[in-house]
Amino acid sequence: MSDTHQRRAPSFVSSALRVFDLSLGEMLWSRRTIFMALLLSAPVILALVSRIVQAMGVAPLRVNGVRVGGAGIFGMMIWVLFIRFTIPMLGVFYGTSLIADEVDDKTLTYLFTRPVQRGAVLMGKYLAYLVCTTLVVLPSVMIVYFLIVPFPEIAGSFHLLLVDLGIMALGLAAYGALFGLVGTVLKRPLVVGLVFAFGWEQLALLMPGYMRRFTLAYYIQGLVPHAMPSDGVTSLIQAVFAESPTIITCLLSLAVVIVVSLVFGRRAIERREYVLEQ
Amino acid sequence: MKNRTRLFFGIAVGVLVLGLGTGLLASYVGQNFTLIGGNGPDSLSYVPADARMVAFADIRDLANSELRQKMRQFEPSTDTRNKLEAETGIDIERDVDEIVAAAWPGGVSPQSPPLILARGKFDSDNIETLLRQHGATPENYKGKQLFVIADSSHTFAVSFVEDGLVAAGAAAAVRQAIDTKASGTNSVTGNAEVMKLIKDVDDGNAWAVAKFDSLAAGPFPISGLAKELAQQLPPINWVAASGHIDSGVRATVRVEAKDDKSAEDLRQVVRGFMALARLQAGQRAEFTELVNSLELGGQGTTITFGFSVPASLIDTLGHLAEQRRQVAPAPAVPEPAPAPSAPSL
Repeated sequence: MSDTHQRRAPSFVSSALRVFDLSLGEMLWSRRTIFMALLLSAPVILALVSRIVQAMGVAPLRVNGVRVGGAGIFGMMIWVLFIRFTIPMLGVFYGTSLIADEVDDKTLTYLFTRPVQRGAVLMGKYLAYLVCTTLVVLPSVMIVYFLIVPFPEIAGSFHLLLVDLGIMALGLAAYGALFGLVGTVLKRPLVVGLVFAFGWEQLALLMPGYMRRFTLAYYIQGLVPHAMPSDGVTSLIQAVFAESPTIITCLLSLAVVIVVSLVFGRRAIERREYVLEQ
Repeated sequence: MKNRTRLFFGIAVGVLVLGLGTGLLASYVGQNFTLIGGNGPDSLSYVPADARMVAFADIRDLANSELRQKMRQFEPSTDTRNKLEAETGIDIERDVDEIVAAAWPGGVSPQSPPLILARGKFDSDNIETLLRQHGATPENYKGKQLFVIADSSHTFAVSFVEDGLVAAGAAAAVRQAIDTKASGTNSVTGNAEVMKLIKDVDDGNAWAVAKFDSLAAGPFPISGLAKELAQQLPPINWVAASGHIDSGVRATVRVEAKDDKSAEDLRQVVRGFMALARLQAGQRAEFTELVNSLELGGQGTTITFGFSVPASLIDTLGHLAEQRRQVAPAPAVPEPAPAPSAPSL
């Protein structure tokens, strides 16, 4: 009987895909989606306003009184709005909620009583997060690009957009995996995630020395093809301590973070005893 | 998966595919323009592939521009133009439609003037007569007649290489230009690196593309400045400049640095100059519009810098120059010696 039952149990991959299918719709039509839509519509609206202003013959952006071109504005938006804000924010909010939401809603029991491996639950939810956020963020970046960059400049800058899209996807994967682990291990993961993304990372990047190597932003920023905009004191300090890692280092580091986070997350969820508060 | 989820992903993937398709098409079309059309003036077929400087001016457009008409008012005299016409038989504004200037390491020594290819309507008989009067000796080179003028240090040549196209410059350069055209394959139009830059600047009625080290070493008016800059600035590979001159001037300078680090350093230098210009413009209101038009851009190893000189500023500068000329004291005339006075009694 036991052998028959084991043979019927789905594999890790098919379990993860089943959880992915289940979680995708839930994730997409949750209240968080409204937050994500607001977060991602802001750059699109900004780009639209910039386009209208540009069409009226007025420079939409000036740095130290100097007019910035379309490709420059796009690069700046990628830096400031997406890389430094939207990607970590989505990673924190969605990543920490992968398991924590099930605990808070006391629905984790239903998943754990199914004949699937516990690790597959985390993996399926992580895949759902990745598909959901990627397919919302990347079209948003694409729309911003075509709104801001004039058509004649597209041929010269399109390859940079492709690099940007790759970096966004990689950033979402890295932040999601790390905060997925945090959400699996800790009880109040959102606070820890916010402190890490908007406290520790911002601070460590400004500090001289090797501390910045313990941030994800350091490796993601190392891949960005656009020049760092020197539009503020923070950027200026970062430029002073600029020490760009090589592309190979960045890619390897982010890959290690993703794999290690998922492996440890899987181990944690399989070993941890979740006590649901009544 | 629910229908609305499917619909959402359909739209998201659709936006991505549409964007990627449009971008790839734009990139493909952009590259094709470089390879097939938009390759600058036809005279480039006389310029060898290893050209390190190519410049173009649409003389007809420039001569008819509003700015040129204004400049005529401020010209002190037409003596220089008349002298040139008397010596060469060419009135640049009347006879020449467009000019291409080029220099390359093999054919033009750093001290020689660049090869000039002028297209227009020329009175060839009159020009040939004038050239002979100035000591030019006719010479046949591969079916083209060259008029060679030799002085103590250089040998210059002028040739009507085509109907309505004159090549002038160092004799060796003119001969190489004829060879290049005859070969049909060794011209600069086959140099993808240079042609990409030319394609980018070909929208103006005057443009130039140059290897920065050739600018510093060449016989150009800015060579001294370029040499000084080369010592101070991060490594620069190519420089391309494009200007559109009508009632005002709209110009873009594009610099290709050796690497990303050099490009970023150069951007910082340009930003510094811009800040300085802005500071200066604060004291001179007439320059505000010019400073507000400054535009810095570019990605990777490319730095672009654009500016516009509005017609109003040119008017102001012209009037200032006119006022200065009027206020300037007349050349000193020696006072007549005092008449000898009669001795007093």
